[in-house]
Amino acid sequence: MVTAPLTLLARIVDPPLRLWQRWTGLNGMAAFFLLPNMAIFGVFVLIPLALNFVYSTTAGTNILLRDRSYVGAEQYARLLDCANYLEPLTCREDQFWTAASNTLVFVIFQVSLMIAVSLITALILNREIRGRSFFRAVFFFPVLLSPVVVGLIWKWILQRQGLLNLMMVNLGLEPEVWLNDRFYSFVATIGVSTWAHMGFYTLILLAGLQAIPKDLYEAAEMDATPPTRVFRRITLPLLGPNLAVVLVLALIRGVQIFDEVFVLTGGGPGTSTLYLTQYIYEVGFASLLRNPGLAAAASIVMGAVLVVLTLAQLSLSRRSERAGER
Amino acid sequence: MATLSLKDIRKSFAGIEVIHGVDLSVKDGELVVFVGPSGCGKSTLLRLIAGLDRPTSGTIELDGRDVTGVNAADRGLAMVFQSYALYPHMTVRQNLSFGLENTRMPKAEIARRVDEAGRMLEIGELMNRRPTQLSGGQRQRVAIGRAIVREPSAFLLDEPLSNLDAELRVTMRAELAQLHERLATTMIYVTHDQVEAMTLADRIVVLRGGRIEQVDTPLGLYNQPANLFVAGFIGAPNMNLFPATARDGQAELPGGLRIDTGPGAARDGKVTIGIRPQHMHLAEAGEQTLEGRVELVERLGAETVVHAVTAEGTTFVTVLAGQPEVAMGDTLHVTPDRGQVHVFDADGQRVARD
Repeated sequence: MVTAPLTLLARIVDPPLRLWQRWTGLNGMAAFFLLPNMAIFGVFVLIPLALNFVYSTTAGTNILLRDRSYVGAEQYARLLDCANYLEPLTCREDQFWTAASNTLVFVIFQVSLMIAVSLITALILNREIRGRSFFRAVFFFPVLLSPVVVGLIWKWILQRQGLLNLMMVNLGLEPEVWLNDRFYSFVATIGVSTWAHMGFYTLILLAGLQAIPKDLYEAAEMDATPPTRVFRRITLPLLGPNLAVVLVLALIRGVQIFDEVFVLTGGGPGTSTLYLTQYIYEVGFASLLRNPGLAAAASIVMGAVLVVLTLAQLSLSRRSERAGER
Repeated sequence: MATLSLKDIRKSFAGIEVIHGVDLSVKDGELVVFVGPSGCGKSTLLRLIAGLDRPTSGTIELDGRDVTGVNAADRGLAMVFQSYALYPHMTVRQNLSFGLENTRMPKAEIARRVDEAGRMLEIGELMNRRPTQLSGGQRQRVAIGRAIVREPSAFLLDEPLSNLDAELRVTMRAELAQLHERLATTMIYVTHDQVEAMTLADRIVVLRGGRIEQVDTPLGLYNQPANLFVAGFIGAPNMNLFPATARDGQAELPGGLRIDTGPGAARDGKVTIGIRPQHMHLAEAGEQTLEGRVELVERLGAETVVHAVTAEGTTFVTVLAGQPEVAMGDTLHVTPDRGQVHVFDADGQRVARD
């Protein structure tokens, strides 16, 4: 009896389906099938987001809401209370503004470097080079590592008695305190986060490059087009949509940078590599005078900046796409 | 304007030779068509001439100059690709002028050439559109225009009409013929469509398995195919081929029809007799006949295509003028036009019968 298990299953599955369909009609069935996914999204994203907003309007060191007092927009006012926005030390929450300006500088350099390195790597891996598959895998491996592992690996390399200094001593060079230097540690956070994530962006760009028909390059070759002009006039415009995706993703991830940096430098020396997410973490959970309300307000501000950046980028890329169709 | 000469061209991919020593010379202003089945090496040969690939050995000469090691860009040739290869993000005007801008040509001259090509190909109205906004035929014209503006010494066309529908293909074929007439520039044209080859070519190069089977004018190929492959490839429906055994310069076809095989190589032994379907007529009284049972009748109006099978089981096709009374199951009696019968020896090579 092949149909017996099916009949049994039907007895379990059919009644709720039939009930739902009676309530909502056939169109409502789409909602029914989306429901499990939406439930997960709701529990882990939407509800926390709403709770985060509620917390940002309260004050106190307690986590339980009933122990907290409603203060309205006071936490936001505290965050934004600044004599001169360009000088973090004149602000009431100077750490927030230090972290914000650090993050801004980090994002500008890291995203630029990320796009440049991923693009160059993708261009090279797109050529018929020996061991292409091997290199494609090698550049992707760091993406598979946990950020904490990435942070630890590079800490072993860069710390005072780390691999890099060992090699420098062997070469007769003076060892350097890489992670205790404001400049070097900042550069290290940019380099390590780029190393860890470039494989992913390289993959996106490589897919874009491979989607460009080979004929176009041959036509350009017949037309005696110099390689730089081929890149500028053919490769770059046709890679535009992929570059836009890479830019948005790299921007979002750059602003949210936390784990690798936290393991690698812990935000130091001083506050030289203190970025926004770490600030939020420390204010909310790690400091003695923890202030979950302030942390929630800071994360809402950061989220708003990300939304604005993403929307601006999306509208730009849509406009250029439409211009492309025209 | 250019003459082209290929000397013992060979090409291997990953150690496998796909072009096996091709020799060919193309006269100035000639339209030469490479034709052959898929995988015969016609496109590979065109890419070697273009400079997009390098031959493994042999030399390529343009106007007497050895260009074997010269880059595609420096050969002064223009190519029309099967996919058109138009830049999708550029307008028609930008597509046409892109190649000229590389040569640092004055802007006024670029504009003049682009406008002239636009007029010639009737795409002047489309200059500000992008390729995605054009029909297949319009894209084809832009692709040809992009080649024309460069005023190349020779045009290379790789199956340029294969992406068009049948009706448009006929129109574009005629336009290409006119274009060649007007420009009088050397053209090398690759196709697998024998009708395209027959109607466009000054000379046709028939390729098979990376070798040239025959080079001749369209009618030369039709009337005097050098071997069984060419005989079977050129002409539609295909030539009827009857295996036979010759004795004393005479071969007997199924049904007893006797054919002279001449005094030469095919005097004795195994031969193949080739008769085109168009070179048979309904037998009159007293004529020796080829006899068969009619299996299929295709009435096209001006002519009737009859498929028949002999008592020995050999099938043959005949094209009869007009609308004769022939029905399935009838016994068909036809006689070949004696002067139009082809004889091939045991190796499949044409045998002169005189």
